[in-house]
Amino acid sequence: MITKDKIDFYIEKIPPTPKVLRDTLLLLNSGELIRAAHIASEDLALKSYLKNIVNKPIYGFKNEVSDITQIFGILGVSSSQQTVYQYMLNLLSPKKWVLFKLNASSFTDLQARLSQNWKLILKHLNIDDKEVESAITLLPASIIISEALFHERMEDVHLLRSVHDLDFNTILVRLCGVDLFDICEQIAHKWEMSDKIAHIVQAASGIKPSNDETINTLAKWMHLLLFYELSQPLFIEAGLNNFIDFQVDFVADIYDDFAALMEIE
Amino acid sequence: MRATVKQGMAVFAPQGFLDGNNTVAFLTVDDIDATLKLKVDMVLVSLKKVVFFNRNGLDVFVKMFAKVRLNNHATVGFCDCDNKKFNAINNFYKNDLNFSLFDSQETAALFSSSFKDQSKNVLLYSDDKSQRSAMAIELHDNGHNPIIAQSKDDFILKCANKSSYDHVIRNTFLGQMGQKVATRVTGNAIIYTVSSFLDADIGNSFNIAYHNNSLNVGFRLFIFDAYKVISMNVHALNFFSKLASSGAEYNATICFVGMSFDKTPLTFKDNMEDAGIMFYDQMDDILQNKELLEELGASSAANVKNKRIINKIVVTELSNFVQATTATIEMMTNSSAIKEAAEVKEIIVADKTDKIASSIGFYGDMDGMVILIFPKDIAKKACELLIGEETEDVELILDTLAELVNIVGGKVKTLLSDKHISVDITLPRTYASIDSLLEITKGRKGVQVDLSFSGDKFLFFLTR
Repeated sequence: MITKDKIDFYIEKIPPTPKVLRDTLLLLNSGELIRAAHIASEDLALKSYLKNIVNKPIYGFKNEVSDITQIFGILGVSSSQQTVYQYMLNLLSPKKWVLFKLNASSFTDLQARLSQNWKLILKHLNIDDKEVESAITLLPASIIISEALFHERMEDVHLLRSVHDLDFNTILVRLCGVDLFDICEQIAHKWEMSDKIAHIVQAASGIKPSNDETINTLAKWMHLLLFYELSQPLFIEAGLNNFIDFQVDFVADIYDDFAALMEIE
Repeated sequence: MRATVKQGMAVFAPQGFLDGNNTVAFLTVDDIDATLKLKVDMVLVSLKKVVFFNRNGLDVFVKMFAKVRLNNHATVGFCDCDNKKFNAINNFYKNDLNFSLFDSQETAALFSSSFKDQSKNVLLYSDDKSQRSAMAIELHDNGHNPIIAQSKDDFILKCANKSSYDHVIRNTFLGQMGQKVATRVTGNAIIYTVSSFLDADIGNSFNIAYHNNSLNVGFRLFIFDAYKVISMNVHALNFFSKLASSGAEYNATICFVGMSFDKTPLTFKDNMEDAGIMFYDQMDDILQNKELLEELGASSAANVKNKRIINKIVVTELSNFVQATTATIEMMTNSSAIKEAAEVKEIIVADKTDKIASSIGFYGDMDGMVILIFPKDIAKKACELLIGEETEDVELILDTLAELVNIVGGKVKTLLSDKHISVDITLPRTYASIDSLLEITKGRKGVQVDLSFSGDKFLFFLTR
């Protein structure tokens, strides 16, 4: 159904970071927001994406924000960098979703919701680190990879899942010995994201805890946040609720904190 | 969301958070309709991976339970309830708890008549005395050995000695139990479980299409587990007499086990015996007696009066059957299939060593049976995806093979429905040796397709 060769081919065809994005990220890293905005404006698709995402209700701006300098200024360095990463990931997403009932708008919604709530969590944990903040952008890559690898065998996968409760990650591991988060890590390397981002996302799978206590704590929050979002009606209807296995025990010790923070009653 | 169906149990497994906003998304009208059409003994919702729920979040499932009970008489409830979840649900529905709660799927399976592993030593405890008794009775009826702890302290004490029990039941509540004629396959016999008062309703709760197709697939011994039957009326008597007569042309035997005639006229027994139905006191009187089993036809199916031949309609759809099979095996083994030969003939297996087989029947707009003969290595490889590890356990391989053949059946069903041909599939049957399979197929012609998966020979046979 899916072979290691197919996965290698998939990773191989992922394009390297485009020059405009690389330059924008470099400038953002050095805190030069205005110059970064100037470079980012050269890429019309990026410009349109940034406008679209920051004007989503979850960002809470009353008036439409359309100027890139203004957008970067409002978002600040960390969030601007994170949004550029989100855009990169969006370049990978399919034009037409088949396996999951998603579209460009609902996928961007998921990215925006994860991003905003992740920011809330990091504030709660008193963590101010732009790499940690950006780590959340890589998480939805697991959804894009599942779509890319499984969409041609959708019916087979549904039949398999009708008799045996298997998630996509487990199917992939059993077929190829590689999981969705290993592929996320390879994408992170290809896009020259920091190792820390890849490590957090690997640990956030819930099945490969990190030895680093801080990374592990972040991974638990990220894992629970993912399932909090995948329990939203839009994403349940998209078929995302059980695309990977929710590790309840992994998040048990942070659940009460999470529930209080998200005001779950 | 659709339920996963295994061994007569349909299980929904939502993950994350269940509240009033999202449960409608978890369970759409289509999902409920699909569940109502399932032929299962139990419909469960697993709370294992639910980290938060409130009453509104459970209500949609509870409404589905009521519909399932009304339509199918199956047992319904939540499973994988830890202490906190068990208490919360009890609190939400204290005066209205008419579904069951199980601490795990394994516990639920002990209460399912289709569960094949019996004779388990089960330790149980409930604060509610009547629940303790109800659980013990149900477990006993299902062939287990319940051990009841009389108090919480007694339970804790007994739990310390875990090795004495195969299973320990906590956080479990039995709501209304199933009233379906539950079906299970033991070896080559099919066991139906009937209970309470048998009347005209038996015609609705008994799956006659399944029974007829089990006959076609080659089953010859049908046992009615009637320990829990209180009485039967003349309508039920007529039903069973007709069932026996219709099975006679297949040389099938119908037995009743544990039936008491205290509240049923003894003349009924005579009438049923006249129709060819046999009566036994204990299940083991049949299942543990190999000679009797052979005599009753449980090991042989060769003496079919009317052997049916493969017909044009079935052969026309051959490509769909082969496609469904090869696509499934390719998917499960990550290998490619090569078709080597196809011929209409009686099944011929050149080399029977290290081979196992499985069959599944289909019925509806067309009927027949697909037989698959696997080299053990392919079977093991195909099962690895479902089991997650290599295994040499033949029982486990055969069980998993049954799931695999179920997937083939499901795929056939889908492919045929694309051509507006509607079929249902029977429970799969597995054979640890080719000889036992050949007894079934003796004298039957069909289409044999020899396939090769990465060099390993694989045999597909389509017959009626």
